[in-house]
Amino acid sequence: MQLGIIQDLIALLPMENILPLMLFAPLVAAFIAYILGARGARALTLVVTFVELLLSLVLIIAILPNPGVMWYEWYFTLSTVQFGSWSAILQIYLGVDGISVAMVFLSNLVVFIAALSSNHIDKSKNLYYMFFLMLQTGLLGVFMSLDLISFFIFWELVLIPMFFIIGRWGEEGCEHAAVKFFIYTHLGSAVMLVSFMALFFLGPGTFNMLSIKAAPIAINIQIGFALAVFLGAGVKLPVFPLHNWLPWAHVKAPTPGSVILAGILLKMGGYGFIRLGLWMVPQGFARLSIPFAILAIFTCIYAAFVAMGQTDVKSMVAYTSINHMAWVLLGVAIGGFAIGGGATEGQLFSASLAVQGAVFMMVSHGMISSVMFILAGQLKYSAGSREIPAIRGLMTKAPRMSAVFILAVFAAFGLPGMSGFIAEVLVLFGSVNIYIWSGFIAFGIFVTVGYLLWTLNRIVFSDPDPEKEVTEAPWSDLIAPILMMIPVIILGLWPDLVLNLVMPIVNDMLGVIP
Amino acid sequence: MLQFSSIIDAISDLLSPIFALVPADWLVSLPALTLIAFGILSLVVGMRTSPLAVSFIGIILAGFEMILIAPGSSFGGLFVRDTFGDFFIWIILVVAFLILLSSTTYGGNKGTYNFLLMMSFAGAIWVVMATDLVALFLAWELMSTPTYVLVALGPHRGAIDGATKYFVMGLLSTTLIVFGIALVYGTTGATSFAAIGAFVETVWSAASPSAYAMLLAMVLFLIGFGFKVGVFPGWMWVPDAYATADGSVTGYLAGATKKTGVSALLRILLVGFVAAQMEWMPVIVTISILSMVIGNVLALSQRNIMRMLAYSSIMMMGLLFVGIAAGTAFGAAAAMFTAFAHALIKTGAFILVWALAVSIGKEITYDDLKGLSARAPIAALLMAIMVFALAGAPFTAGFWFKWFLIPGAAVDAGLWWLAIIAVLNSVFALGYYLRILRYCYFMEPTEGTTIRVPTIPLVAVVLAVVGTILLGIFPGFVLDYATIAAGAIVP
Repeated sequence: MQLGIIQDLIALLPMENILPLMLFAPLVAAFIAYILGARGARALTLVVTFVELLLSLVLIIAILPNPGVMWYEWYFTLSTVQFGSWSAILQIYLGVDGISVAMVFLSNLVVFIAALSSNHIDKSKNLYYMFFLMLQTGLLGVFMSLDLISFFIFWELVLIPMFFIIGRWGEEGCEHAAVKFFIYTHLGSAVMLVSFMALFFLGPGTFNMLSIKAAPIAINIQIGFALAVFLGAGVKLPVFPLHNWLPWAHVKAPTPGSVILAGILLKMGGYGFIRLGLWMVPQGFARLSIPFAILAIFTCIYAAFVAMGQTDVKSMVAYTSINHMAWVLLGVAIGGFAIGGGATEGQLFSASLAVQGAVFMMVSHGMISSVMFILAGQLKYSAGSREIPAIRGLMTKAPRMSAVFILAVFAAFGLPGMSGFIAEVLVLFGSVNIYIWSGFIAFGIFVTVGYLLWTLNRIVFSDPDPEKEVTEAPWSDLIAPILMMIPVIILGLWPDLVLNLVMPIVNDMLGVIP
Repeated sequence: MLQFSSIIDAISDLLSPIFALVPADWLVSLPALTLIAFGILSLVVGMRTSPLAVSFIGIILAGFEMILIAPGSSFGGLFVRDTFGDFFIWIILVVAFLILLSSTTYGGNKGTYNFLLMMSFAGAIWVVMATDLVALFLAWELMSTPTYVLVALGPHRGAIDGATKYFVMGLLSTTLIVFGIALVYGTTGATSFAAIGAFVETVWSAASPSAYAMLLAMVLFLIGFGFKVGVFPGWMWVPDAYATADGSVTGYLAGATKKTGVSALLRILLVGFVAAQMEWMPVIVTISILSMVIGNVLALSQRNIMRMLAYSSIMMMGLLFVGIAAGTAFGAAAAMFTAFAHALIKTGAFILVWALAVSIGKEITYDDLKGLSARAPIAALLMAIMVFALAGAPFTAGFWFKWFLIPGAAVDAGLWWLAIIAVLNSVFALGYYLRILRYCYFMEPTEGTTIRVPTIPLVAVVLAVVGTILLGIFPGFVLDYATIAAGAIVP
């Protein structure tokens, strides 16, 4: 293919500094955006996010020859602490492999789409875009970090701009949601942090993830660490008992805020499970495979039923996110089984499928939920409300918007040909071969299809209410969701675009010989 | 500082004839003596005109003397400048500088105010230099007595109330300290920390009954010095005195005098009572947990920002005591970094709130902060950075001590459960920190007028904020120093 020529061309570029460039460009742009004022800030944000998107494409092509190893490692030492027998290097340490690059691409894509859909933000614009760009730095940092300290720095950095975006530009009651979001997610991270320290002092005495992965760590420490990661990443994902913040934050946030929350912030949780759990402390994670799988299946079905009961479209989409992210946890838990030992060759292969499916689910759900949230936000402007009973006859009054909405709903419940289908099939095929009872999660799909079609029936295909004004969405508001549907369909037809990036590292993680 | 050492040597050679005029035994104490001299001078100048410039010169001179004069001992070894003491002296000087900047809004034009502040600064410097219980006590009184008056000089009648509470509890703690010194002297026949340390070691290895007298003395010291630090059980004066005193004095109390108490306790525990670590560790752990919980719970229920910040510093000191409880060199360094960062952040925060209070003309409550981002954007931004630093956001100094150093020290010492309690308390603290941001940024102002915040205090706050962010990016600048300093006293 012609990709070879492009790769040769990219090899001529000074690629070793691409990660810090991608990471800090938005941070610098954030301060410039604040100075530029309202109009300039939006233009600058669109340009920067688009350039970031292109850079992540360049990154994908550059690492495609061998996505199973760490590329472009870069570090900046903040400080070195030394006491007697141990020394800790506090540094920002970046590097990417296939999974990270997939997430980096997803974040840049979602952030770009969210920037496009920020056109309804009308107060303190420069401040908004400053926080928006800061958020991008934090998100990229999480996916690029190879050091527990820098991972935690960026993990925390994400909260600050998100807190302001929810609280200042959100809807009625958003202040409470912002505080709840901040404290809830902080609580999980705090416990995770203590486990970082415990791992440092009881384990290999380093914060470098690559060294921790290579070091032999006692099994009980690994299990404790995996449990703490469950608390930190499980809040973000979120899993059943830790999910309470999510509907609040998603519903009250402004549309772009919800897009980023559902599109990427939840993926930080899934990525945390894979990077800190499965990849870094595999043996500890393997011991927790069955409880995690059960929890995932329960979360999926539970969230589907709760979503069915929602009357607010945004809230329904929020619970759909919980429902879909449970698939990620199931895939990761299945991966844990394969690492635990005693798996046959066929089971190993299935486990690899499930973990690939988990990553694919993160990418696919990131794109689909963005579309769903943009449309749910759009309903407020077009129909004057997001309450399902209050909206009627969308198809008659607003056919363009209805068409996109129907496509998005199809993608969300996993219609073949869209990316959601591939993700669910991969996880399901992988997991049933290992735990036959994990087929129960298909009941979650069943319920999801049910309530999504029911919703379509109620708001799109119902008879219009003559007393209610419903206007068509302008193209300027529809361009972001339509753009986002393109990769959804492309990935649904050609999943190898993501799987080629992910497969080598997953196989390496699980010990599958391809 | 290494690259400057040749320049420093050259200058100190140049100035050696002047230093030679000072009696050799006094030389190391010269920074404190300078502050006293300039304090008296500003009292005299203050009869005619504003003496603030005199005080500034005194502080800056003291800073230069710190750099130019090599560490050593003075007054027959009673006051010693070592790396450990120097670390705290720098805290005091930095805070003193910021406080004088802030005093331009209120009180700085009076001779008495400057005189009392300068005396207290000098006393604080001697407290951290003291290596002997009697010397420590003298310096402690020199530091404390002016602050009782300074608190009473506050802008309204409530200040008398706060000062009375502070004074009565201060006297009680002084009494306890004296009683502790008497017990130690009666048992050991010595008052220097090194001699006490040697004695405690023999007593503990021989299991002799005089251990009980020493333990009682230790508990009395903990309560007595802990009073100034503002931890359980001597925390009750903190909110009253902080909220009623004028903001610059509050900044000084929170930024510097608290830290001298920390330094005194570190010296007593890690030098004098190092052999009794198993005995004092549970006490410190109890103190720290209770302080964190009390500070947090009460801070959450405040409406007045000054009082809220006062309770939050009770919580912070509880957090700092986690580092002391670890009892290792890392723990001491973590506590010292916390002390430095907290001094910077809290002083800045108090100065900012005070400057706002002066410009509005009333005590600041949450309602006054409504829509601050529209009424005073720069002040709101500075406030937000301060609050995030207190909450431990990345790229601020708060991140390192709240999430890395203190939990790390506790886990290192095997107290992982204490680390969890500490971080959970830090998360709990978000409840009142985020409320400030909520009022500043999320709410619409009730009044449309802009607030004109006086410039010079704002400069002080900007300095503190810049320092906080620099420490967040390059923590090594202070952390390395703290490491060396902690290594100097912890075996």
